Amino acid sequence: MIIGIPRALLYHKYKHLWKSFFKELGIDYILSPDTNKEILRKGSAYSIDESCLSSKIYLGHVEWLLDKCDYILIPRFSDYSRNGTVCPKFLAIYDVVANIFRDRSINLLSYSINPKVTHVEMAAFLKLGKILNKKKSQSLYAYLNAKQVEKKAHLLEITEQERLLQENKLKILVLAHRYNIFDKYIGEPILNILREQETVPIIGDIAPQKEAIANYAQISETLPWVCNRELVGSIPIYKDRVDGIILMSAFPCGPDSLVNEILIRRIKDKPILNLMIDGQEGKAGMETRLESFIDIIRFKKDEQNGRN
Amino acid sequence: MSKGYLGIDIGSISTKGVIIDENNNIKASEYLWTEGDPLKAVKRLLSTLKLQLADSQIRIVTVGTTGSARKLIGAMTGASVVKNEITAHAIGAMSIHPEVRTIIEIGGQDSKIILIENGIVIDYAMNTLCAAGTGSFLSSQAQRLHINIEDFGRIALQSTKATPIAARCTVFAESDLVHKAQIGHKKEDIVAGLCKAVVANYLNNVGKGKKIISPVVFQGGVSKNIGVVKAFEELLGMPVAVDPNSHLTGALGVALLAKKSRVEKDFFFDITDIEFKTVGYDCKKCSNNCEIICIYREDQIIDAWGNKCENGAVH
Repeated sequence: MIIGIPRALLYHKYKHLWKSFFKELGIDYILSPDTNKEILRKGSAYSIDESCLSSKIYLGHVEWLLDKCDYILIPRFSDYSRNGTVCPKFLAIYDVVANIFRDRSINLLSYSINPKVTHVEMAAFLKLGKILNKKKSQSLYAYLNAKQVEKKAHLLEITEQERLLQENKLKILVLAHRYNIFDKYIGEPILNILREQETVPIIGDIAPQKEAIANYAQISETLPWVCNRELVGSIPIYKDRVDGIILMSAFPCGPDSLVNEILIRRIKDKPILNLMIDGQEGKAGMETRLESFIDIIRFKKDEQNGRN
Repeated sequence: MSKGYLGIDIGSISTKGVIIDENNNIKASEYLWTEGDPLKAVKRLLSTLKLQLADSQIRIVTVGTTGSARKLIGAMTGASVVKNEITAHAIGAMSIHPEVRTIIEIGGQDSKIILIENGIVIDYAMNTLCAAGTGSFLSSQAQRLHINIEDFGRIALQSTKATPIAARCTVFAESDLVHKAQIGHKKEDIVAGLCKAVVANYLNNVGKGKKIISPVVFQGGVSKNIGVVKAFEELLGMPVAVDPNSHLTGALGVALLAKKSRVEKDFFFDITDIEFKTVGYDCKKCSNNCEIICIYREDQIIDAWGNKCENGAVH
């Protein structure tokens, strides 16, 4: 049995957990490749116009996996109870995929995060193991092991980011969902432009999760979405150590459009750039926006240094 | 022989060039249509500038480019500075109006607002996913109404009662305009309404949430439209300055930046006799199918771009 994992949306958050869990259970999996033009094109063709760029990309990845595996992993997330809710696409995407590809003999593998159970995630993974015909003890061991791997990977990211924060270059905090900023087609080009401009991008989503959740209320107490709470919570952690902030969202993200407005209004002591990605060809416009933003920061810094 | 510094601003609609001397005085300048062929437009531009310089003893020591074709023309002219248009416009505007706090810029396909404090750009915004209310919108509407775009502003000023036109979106504005014309609104009222629509659109989109502080400078091609200038002054309730060289600000700014860079290498006008061409092809090395653009100077490749990964790099 082979499980297909679309390299999009929650993959970027849970890749270590998923991969280690299946590996420990001795189950083969394949990943769809990095997002490319063809995946985006196909994904857009299967999507309704109104859905966000990230979801369109997701459908492209699912399409790539069809006929290449026995099951496609698509979890359902509705909310994290008191920790907040998620964008409805994470709840809907399972049904969206099941219906769009219903005549392509697609088998979906899913786990649901149900906030009413304690150890929510563990319970979900034990259930997943059961579907895969694994003993409870096996699944439990695999889950706990995968959790360790995930934790280690996150700690490594945090340490690496701390190292980057020491660099003697302009540092730009990039606030973007993992599935956008770590996507090779829509996110990576932005990081590359920033690096070409001799700046160091600092990824907001890498911030220690607990610390971020404890901090978000400093900026807004009423954010319903857990993903945005984590992103917003990274601002107090990094703000004093960066020179500017970029808010990158995929068109037309609902939660981001609201949260970005709040951030632009409330954060007054750092230059902010609001960057909307819609998968348009040609990176000239993106370059202009990023380059001039960095110019602003550089000119400001030069002036301050001149005064001192 | 004295030194000269050349700045070229190649926009989607028009191409601008300025040559300044060591005291930042404009010694030659030209404004012409890009006509979809930036390489050719720049050659025409350089020929005119060369003629204007004919009697003076100026030697061009450095070139700067800006505008949407800045990279292409930068490769062609061997520019020492290739800068984005926001920075170029800000630098240019500040050299003419050192006190400026707000720059309104409306060009052929984009519009921007640049906020300045103590001579430094502190914030800017650009139209993002929509080109409503830019120069190309106005010129296509002028065509529809059978008037010259050059007369647009003058006709608008004849109106005593501007026709309200939906300003939210170019497509809606266009259908609204047709409807208003069909039910008998006067041409000058419609033209004045269009000017107002452009301004309302700008303030609601690009200018949204930005604090517009006087002195305000208006530049870019649309600033030549007196109807739009008047509409801005009415809606903002403050004077809006338009410099006679407002269409050249970007080119002036990048000439100043090129001068400031202190990178000097002689530039010769004879590149107008050299054949430059671009060849585009689809890289098939991976599924991104990037469109690679190669720039040739007399059959010799001088630059290439467009690749998203190393596979497509042209050596």
